[in-house]
Amino acid sequence: MAIKDIVIDYKHRQAGHCESGATSNLFNFYGLDLSEPMAFGTGCGIYFSYLPFLKLMFAPMMSFRNFPNTVFHRSMKYLGVDATVIKKFNDKKESMDALDRNLEKGIPTGVQVGVFNLTFFPPEYRQHYNMHNMVIFGKEGNNYHVSDTVMEDPQILSYEDLARVRWAKGAFAPKGKMYWINNIPTEIDYRSAANQGMHKSVYEMIKVPFWLIGIKGMRVMARDIRKWPKKHGNEKASFYLGQILRMAEDFGTGGAGFRYIYGAFLKESGEKFNNDEMLKAADLMGKTANRWRDFTYIGARNCKNRAKPEEDYGMLGDMMMEIAEGEFKVFKMLDKITI
Amino acid sequence: MEENNNKVYKDERYGKYREMLYYYNEDGNFEKKVEFHGEPDRVILQQAWDFFNERKEEARQKVLSGKASPIAYHMEKDLLDPMNLGMAAGIKIWNVKRHLKPGPFKRLSEKTLQKYADAFNITIEELKKVE
Repeated sequence: MAIKDIVIDYKHRQAGHCESGATSNLFNFYGLDLSEPMAFGTGCGIYFSYLPFLKLMFAPMMSFRNFPNTVFHRSMKYLGVDATVIKKFNDKKESMDALDRNLEKGIPTGVQVGVFNLTFFPPEYRQHYNMHNMVIFGKEGNNYHVSDTVMEDPQILSYEDLARVRWAKGAFAPKGKMYWINNIPTEIDYRSAANQGMHKSVYEMIKVPFWLIGIKGMRVMARDIRKWPKKHGNEKASFYLGQILRMAEDFGTGGAGFRYIYGAFLKESGEKFNNDEMLKAADLMGKTANRWRDFTYIGARNCKNRAKPEEDYGMLGDMMMEIAEGEFKVFKMLDKITI
Repeated sequence: MEENNNKVYKDERYGKYREMLYYYNEDGNFEKKVEFHGEPDRVILQQAWDFFNERKEEARQKVLSGKASPIAYHMEKDLLDPMNLGMAAGIKIWNVKRHLKPGPFKRLSEKTLQKYADAFNITIEELKKVE
């Protein structure tokens, strides 16, 4: 199916995190203001899980963010916006035709992709990671216009390449998932949306009755860090430590495993709804995030000199435990706040 | 664009893009800055690529000395493990593990070879040799 050339007037803004950036940009396209941290907070982006029995890129799997598409889905639900999410398609052709039809109607559409074959992506990040999000906002001939919030400028991607990344294989395969906003009501209750999103995050971080999710998972990981050099040897221990740091700092997190973005959300909503308790929580979150960055600096020294670790893993484990307690305090505080 | 003088990355193509990073400063404000990653972030990323390149080189030596089939090399080149390769090619994991040996690889049918070639996005001729 050939459609005529169309480019939607869509404003690309760079952001820290791919999905909340895409959500906030899509929302702003319809003329209302939603900053990236607000989208991240109302969509419960913050999360932690540690799954040592699963391996991602040859090291234990951990995640600092929620499952793909949670941010978009939840923030749209809590804000009361009419949005559509198509979870999967049967084949490539069908998914690309659906995208073309949307573009013809003038709707910028978000898609979930895998980054390994994404041609414009920075080559140092091209590993098997299937939870990346970007927005398609135009088509000219065989090429699509893409707004990827990791990059500074909008990019161009050919039909074949786009079909390939939308159907990347492996864990959390996107299967052509796409989402868009249908229409936005005139009055939006930001207060209740932020409240709902915040309390859902509190539940996920400290109340889930499973020992590998949320703060409990961070404590388990802190204990495991101490055991790694004895169990696996220095080489492997430093590679595993590197995995924590890579997931926290690189791969478009905005730094410190999204903790800065969440702190910015707490600060923004505290100012917006005049809540002093929330500003205090934001301050504590910012300080914990700074501790995360210290953890990276110290950990990276171990990774630089792999065979002979400069810092003791017991000390790093203690530091991780301290960070976990700091975050525990923040979420305990948030649990008592109603805005 | 700013000059990028940090020489942590060994590959020339790396470290050319600026990203948005957040900071929390002493006045209690969250700041956004668009800039290159600092040295610690580069060290950990380079560590991962060192590890992948080592594995790739090891697999290449094995293939050249006849201890493994070319699939083992292509698998390491694409940063896959047998499970993910099986998912990508639509072949059962125990069969993938068997095809990593040179003997069973020689007996593979055209159809199966095509499945692997599609998973790696190369032709069958390229699949049969290493670079």
